[in-house]
Amino acid sequence: MMRLDHLPNQRPNEHVVLFLRRQWFALLTIVCASVLLAGVPLAAGWYFWEILRSWLDHPVIGPLLVILGSMYFLSIWLFAFLEFTDYYLDTWIITNERIINIEQEGLFHRTASELDLAAVQDTTAEIRGILQTLFTYGQVYVQTAGEKGRFHFKNIDNPEQVKEIVSRLVEEDKRLLSAAGHVSRGKVKRDL
Amino acid sequence: MVMFELPNIDVPMYVFLCVFGAYMLFYVIYSLFNIYHLIRYGIYGFGLYLIVTIFTGGTILLVAGSMFLLLDYDWTLPLSLNDATEFYNEDLFPGL
Repeated sequence: MMRLDHLPNQRPNEHVVLFLRRQWFALLTIVCASVLLAGVPLAAGWYFWEILRSWLDHPVIGPLLVILGSMYFLSIWLFAFLEFTDYYLDTWIITNERIINIEQEGLFHRTASELDLAAVQDTTAEIRGILQTLFTYGQVYVQTAGEKGRFHFKNIDNPEQVKEIVSRLVEEDKRLLSAAGHVSRGKVKRDL
Repeated sequence: MVMFELPNIDVPMYVFLCVFGAYMLFYVIYSLFNIYHLIRYGIYGFGLYLIVTIFTGGTILLVAGSMFLLLDYDWTLPLSLNDATEFYNEDLFPGL
């Protein structure tokens, strides 16, 4: 279990400035999909209750229907939990020294990368479409100096504000490093 | 003209319970793996425990509901493939 006050490879004087997850809209999508998948057969069962009851009373069709129904609803519950785990474990941590990007892709693929703020060249915020404009969420891209790859904060809340904070932190870090005569340490990536 | 007679195969109803049991085993393993992921890599906090509790509680409710419904059936009833048509009952589709 990770603690925000005790990050992996934490440096002296390093503290968390921002802790980001995808916006609540992503969570709402999971809830809506699950409610829809569970609600449609329940509503159909309620509407055709007489037929359903005769099926449930049948010695062969009844148990089959209960077993299939149980498996169906348990699968929806498990699917919702898996999707939630994916949402919950996708995190971006911005400290006063680096950006940590943790991405969960399914259950068996997890990537954790970190990037020194001094290596950041450009930060871009993007809000696209009606929903993103209405609910103020979108993407932030953090481009590094010497790498083709970039960090992508997906569907986060207030991307403009996040971009401003990252830019400010990058400026501060670069100023501190140049004052101390350091060279940017670059990006470290590891697959877990 | 050669007549074929299918052998009369009786499948007990509890075979379906075995299928359900196998599914539950998969469900439990997958859930435990998922909970392990959450606890191993999640951020420490009350929300983490809340989510695991909600998921476990929901699972217990769904399984208990299923068990409650399944208890009423006679699982020793042999299901004969030859007599499959006898299970057809006009009452099953009263609207048709």
